Amino acid sequence: MENSFTEALSHTNFSTLDWILVALYLSISVVIGLFVKKYVRNMTTYLGAGRAIGTCLGIATMTGTEMGLITVMYSSQKGFTGGFAAFHIALAAAIVTFIVGATGFIVCRLREMKVLTIPEFYEKRFDRKTRILGGVMLAFGGILNMGLFLKVGSMFVVGITGMSQDSRALPAVMTVLLVLVLVYTVLGGMISVIVTDYIQFVVLSFGILAATAICLNQLGWENIINTVQELKGEEGFNPLMEGSGFGLSYVAWMFFTAGLVSCAIWPTAVARALAMESTQAVKKQYMWSSLSFMIRFIIPYFWGICALVYFTTSAPDLQELFLPTDPNVEPVNNLYAMPIFLGRVLPVGLIGIITAAMIAAFMSTHDSYLLCWSSVITQDIIAPIRGKDFSTASRIKWTRILIVVIGLYILYWGLIYEGGDDIWDYMAVTGAIYFTGAFSLLFGGLYWKGASSTGAFLALMSGMTALLGLDPVQRLVGLKWVDPQTDEVVQRLTGDEVGLLTVAFTLIVFVLGSLLFPDKPKTQSTEPIKA
Amino acid sequence: MWQTLWTYLFFGSITLFAGMAVWVTIGGFRDIKTLFRRLSEDQSNDEE
Repeated sequence: MENSFTEALSHTNFSTLDWILVALYLSISVVIGLFVKKYVRNMTTYLGAGRAIGTCLGIATMTGTEMGLITVMYSSQKGFTGGFAAFHIALAAAIVTFIVGATGFIVCRLREMKVLTIPEFYEKRFDRKTRILGGVMLAFGGILNMGLFLKVGSMFVVGITGMSQDSRALPAVMTVLLVLVLVYTVLGGMISVIVTDYIQFVVLSFGILAATAICLNQLGWENIINTVQELKGEEGFNPLMEGSGFGLSYVAWMFFTAGLVSCAIWPTAVARALAMESTQAVKKQYMWSSLSFMIRFIIPYFWGICALVYFTTSAPDLQELFLPTDPNVEPVNNLYAMPIFLGRVLPVGLIGIITAAMIAAFMSTHDSYLLCWSSVITQDIIAPIRGKDFSTASRIKWTRILIVVIGLYILYWGLIYEGGDDIWDYMAVTGAIYFTGAFSLLFGGLYWKGASSTGAFLALMSGMTALLGLDPVQRLVGLKWVDPQTDEVVQRLTGDEVGLLTVAFTLIVFVLGSLLFPDKPKTQSTEPIKA
Repeated sequence: MWQTLWTYLFFGSITLFAGMAVWVTIGGFRDIKTLFRRLSEDQSNDEE
């Protein structure tokens, strides 16, 4: 099978010209990092770009960060396996993001408080120990969450370029990419991130629209619909049907995670809101970004669906690899489906542009996440502990050091780790460690005067119950087992049910903790907190 | 019903996104110029 897979990879259209386009694009990013370094004077410019981001730039940078290569990969996987029923996730993301924009729910109040990070809000609203614990949970969940990014990114590069997955070239390519990201993020901070995000938005937007047009031209919309109908029936379109792989609880979970968490709780998205020039700009940014948030899911889903249709109608070699008829044959990891498909249908030149844009998306996600997690550790764990003896120059230095340390961890983890297949599940659980507690603290802290620091602390701790959504944990505690009589897997609670229950649990803990252990009355300052 | 919904959603969102991409590209470029102008002004003020 290995030989068949290598043979299948070699049929890509990726050429020398495409490599040149990729190299040219990536070198621009480093130049930008070097150019903007002179503007970095303090933490506000390093982390917040001086809070001088206009609406259009805000939309571009939000999209540039959130339309990451990882999102494209796991979304295309969902489209490949779920068909059009997966589109409900994109719709949920759009609806909720638009509502957040229209109402300013959570994001505008945070912007008004002029905080730089979410844990900074925790201290302002609750107390220092909540900030430190919040920072720890956030950094822990976030850094774990991005542990597989490099691995998944490498699968895209292998699939679309035809590079052998076993060659030394692949780890070298991933290392070079990571080093480039570290260089311009360390030097220029948020200003570099925003300018490179803008360039990536421009290239990616027009690139994906062109690629989608080619897919439609190659396969035909009617043919795509009819093939999915033949292969999956109604389950390929209706997400509420049992057997679709989704169901009602999953759809509800998507409104919460793909919708609310993605735009208003996840720190990298919220960081954009905190860098906007005003709350009005925040609202506009979110309302317009709702369209980008939908596109970032719906187009990769569509590409995954196209890969499925292409394999079954035009590529028998790939059909045999990914959808083997022999039940004893292990199928190839379907994360490879979309990049291999694009490698075959996109022409030379466009494939280079798309690859450059996707690699840029990969780098863009990394630069934002690296900056976010390192600044959380600096601002929200180290600074509160060190107190006043922590100068601006030291903070910037520490942030830069941590960017490199986290980068090395990702490199090690991505090249060494042999993880499971379902990337979305891994990310959902590691993310839920943070966002289940964070939702209670943000919602309660911003909108309920009775919220207390003890309630907040307990809610953050209870977020750890999200680990029950993880497969090995479920088997350990008896939530999942194999029926000895039928050999079928029996599952008491699905991952999405665990997620929803965890959210409810943290809310209950937060409310009870606040009512039973109220804070002593204090004067709340509207000035930014200084450690 | 679902096929119709997804068809309208897909083509509607693609069309809107294409228009937004053009607008954001032009407006974003203007915002970058403004950003650097403000950062330069702040830098000059600090040096004074």
